[in-house]
Amino acid sequence: MESIIFYVFAAIVLSSALLVVATRNLVRSIFLFFITLFSMAGLFIFALADFVAITQIVIYVGGVLVLMIFAFLLSNKQILNDPEPLKSKIIGLHHLPGIFVSLLFFGIIIWSLTLANTDQLDWIASSGENTLKPSDNTTHYIGITLMTKYLLPFEVVSVFLLMALIGAAHLARKEREI
Amino acid sequence: MIPLSHFLFISATLFCIGIYAVLSKKNAIMVLIGIEFMLNAAILNFVAFGKYDKFNASGQVFALFAIVLAAAAVAVSLAIILNVYQYYKTIDPTRINKLKD
Amino acid sequence: METLTQDTISLLAIVAALMPLLSFAGILLVPGDRNRGSFFSILNISTSLVLSIIVFINVWNKPQLHQQIEWFTIGDWHFRVGILLNNLSALMLLLISFIATLVHIYSTKYMEGDPYIFRYWAYLGLFCFSMLGLVITDNLLLLYMFWELVGFSSYLLIGFWFTRDTAVQANKKAFIMNRLGDLGFLTGIMILFTQFQTLDINLLFGSGGFFEHARVQDGLWTFSSNNMNAVWLTVAGLAFFFGATAKSAQFPLHTWLPDAMEGPTSVSSLIHAATMVAAGVFLIARIYPVFNADVLLVIASIGAFTAFMAASIALTQNDIKRILAFSTISQLGFMMLAMGVGAVAPSIFHLVTHAFFKCLLFLAAGAVIHEMHHVKEEKGLDFDHQDIRFMGGLRKHMPITFATMLLASLALVGIPLTSGYLSKDAILIQSFEWSATQSAWAKIIPYSALFTSWLTAFYVARLVFKVFFGELRLNALFNQSFSLHEAPSAMKFVLIILALFCLFPVFSLNPLHYEHAWITEGLPYISGIARVNIFHTLIPATVNIAAVFLMYLAYKWYADNQKAPDFSGSPLFKFSQNLWYMDKLYKSVFVNGIVGLSKASFSFDKGVIDGIVNLFGSIGVVLASIACWFDRKVIDGLVNATATFSRTLGSFVRHFQTGRLQHYLLFMMLIVLSFFVFKYFSHAI
Repeated sequence: MESIIFYVFAAIVLSSALLVVATRNLVRSIFLFFITLFSMAGLFIFALADFVAITQIVIYVGGVLVLMIFAFLLSNKQILNDPEPLKSKIIGLHHLPGIFVSLLFFGIIIWSLTLANTDQLDWIASSGENTLKPSDNTTHYIGITLMTKYLLPFEVVSVFLLMALIGAAHLARKEREI
Repeated sequence: MIPLSHFLFISATLFCIGIYAVLSKKNAIMVLIGIEFMLNAAILNFVAFGKYDKFNASGQVFALFAIVLAAAAVAVSLAIILNVYQYYKTIDPTRINKLKD
Repeated sequence: METLTQDTISLLAIVAALMPLLSFAGILLVPGDRNRGSFFSILNISTSLVLSIIVFINVWNKPQLHQQIEWFTIGDWHFRVGILLNNLSALMLLLISFIATLVHIYSTKYMEGDPYIFRYWAYLGLFCFSMLGLVITDNLLLLYMFWELVGFSSYLLIGFWFTRDTAVQANKKAFIMNRLGDLGFLTGIMILFTQFQTLDINLLFGSGGFFEHARVQDGLWTFSSNNMNAVWLTVAGLAFFFGATAKSAQFPLHTWLPDAMEGPTSVSSLIHAATMVAAGVFLIARIYPVFNADVLLVIASIGAFTAFMAASIALTQNDIKRILAFSTISQLGFMMLAMGVGAVAPSIFHLVTHAFFKCLLFLAAGAVIHEMHHVKEEKGLDFDHQDIRFMGGLRKHMPITFATMLLASLALVGIPLTSGYLSKDAILIQSFEWSATQSAWAKIIPYSALFTSWLTAFYVARLVFKVFFGELRLNALFNQSFSLHEAPSAMKFVLIILALFCLFPVFSLNPLHYEHAWITEGLPYISGIARVNIFHTLIPATVNIAAVFLMYLAYKWYADNQKAPDFSGSPLFKFSQNLWYMDKLYKSVFVNGIVGLSKASFSFDKGVIDGIVNLFGSIGVVLASIACWFDRKVIDGLVNATATFSRTLGSFVRHFQTGRLQHYLLFMMLIVLSFFVFKYFSHAI
């Protein structure tokens, strides 16, 4: 039962991702991205990472995506203009290098995955107690490690966020005519 | 439950879709979205492996940090895109080639 | 006059020869008026004459005078040159200086008004010097040098009026033909030198000389230790005769003499009548022992043939000087004929008498031409002033000229009581006597000489009657009445003196017998010819009676105008009037041949030789252009190719920097992939 739902979520992710890149209309692709991110959260749930899933929805969807939507909805009309020429083909000539490289990447990654034989990894098989169970409270563990083990990255990230905030605000300011 | 390789497969697919979006989209925001795809694929990868690390929770913590950084990146990117638009009057990356030889 | 020493005599002879050279050098080297030179030249030549008389008196019939100095030495061998004065040379010396003096005096009046007369005196001086030198030298080489000088001064004098094209052509022709003969002379000299190792005339030809000791036996010409094939003796003789042929205008080298009449008449009289053309005869007399019997026969035949030919041509000529020129050729033929039959003394005798009357004929003709020219200039008419068809009845206008010319003509014909009778009949009689000892074919020679004498009578009479008798045809031509003057006194004086020498008393006290003439007694007289008494009366009678008859015929035809039968249509007449077509033959064969050869060799030189050189040049150019191409395309090409390659490579690589972000990303990913692939697959392989 769970695997069916998982595959459904996976299918939604992949199809919406494909639609994101296939759609010419920018607004539609952003909204499809929205769907992709949601489905990604669902996948996170199946990986027993509930906190990450919620964080994804809150920050990614509620923050990043909304930011993007607001950014171009409130900007000039020309930005929204579809710079892509109206071609009937999906696979135009200038798409070919991208398709080629992505397929190549895909092939190589899949091939190395098969070589790596991830289903029979030793440290996974011998992890025993370390493997998450659905009944575990991941928040508890995340919280502890965040404050003890990963304190430095936590602080650095906060400084980083400050930098990003200041930077973005400075970059996006309006020039005052003096 | 769900084998690890399935997660990895999905993440690989998503990553390649993201590559495609970065390389062949004529809108800077679409390129940004492609980057987001790639980030998401990586985050999924982390989370999938994090299932086997309960006590350190390193996979999931890393995923959290990645999400945060992605957000910051998007914010700054959008600001840059706005500035680029004001200078070049276009956000088509194919038309911004002033640094060519 | 007391007997002078040998040294003095030879010195006098040398000075006599050098005086005219002084006039030549003095006039040309000392600048002055254009009309200078007449007095100076006459002074010099008269001095020569006086000295020649002294020399003659001291040398005639006295032992010969031979003085030498050393010219150069080669190793042990000494070459000596000097003077040989015997009867022959003294006689010639006197003759030449005398006639030259008279011509000088004549020229003062004849050449009056000529703008560049100083050249005339200078050239005349050069000629006299070379002629006098020719007769006194004792060495064949010096004789050859003077021979050439004489030819050269003849060239200068024929072309004296060098602005006229005909004069220039004539003097070129004369000089070239003379040079041709000089080849023969030189060949003869070389053969003699090879055999005898010396060119001393006295040593070779004198009494007791080498020629007497040389033998021709069994086909070999032997002298002391030298042996040569006997044919060389004949060749030497023929070669010397060839030289004399050119100088004395014998067949086949006679065509220059009629054309030489382009020069002034006084020059024609001196050079081409009396002296220079006699040089050939003189040479033969000087070196007489060279000729063996075959060569002598050749000489006699050619002399006879030339005499006949020239006389036949003179019958139809209309130019007064040309008639006299052919007459000269004819008389020279007589002299050669005499030499050939062995009558050396009559030949020289005839040379002397011929000098006087031929010179007189020319000078008188010159007076006539001078007057006709005067008329032409005064009235501004256009006619050939030398053509006898325009003359006539001049004896009324120019009596003295007529009288002297008549006397000279009688001497030329050989009427008794003239000097010419003595010499000419001497030749005829001797030739008949000679032919009596030869085969029947030899009789052609004296009989043709006889016939030629008759032709001589006729054409001379024609000349005299046409010029001096009848009416002046010029009047009828122009419907005017012209009057001519007598010649000026200087010319008259000379004419009269020469006329005196045409009479017999100067040469012989006996008007009818030539053997007692003092000249024949002094000259070498070949006594090998048997005397046939009947000839001594028969021949003169035959000749003179027929001559008188022919002269009467000429009188009938020419003395009154328009009475002559017209032969101009007959082929013989045309043959004679066109000079036996000799000139045309020579021109078409030799002149055109040489010109064609010269053109051919020029085109060969230009085409083939220059072509080969140019070919090498162009080969060099082609090689150079190949090297240039190679250098430019291959060597430079290599260097440029390197540069172009790096540029192309650079341009190629540059195109990767498109400035487009997605391209950069694309290439980065491709590189990463390739690294990955490479690393992974190298392990797998």
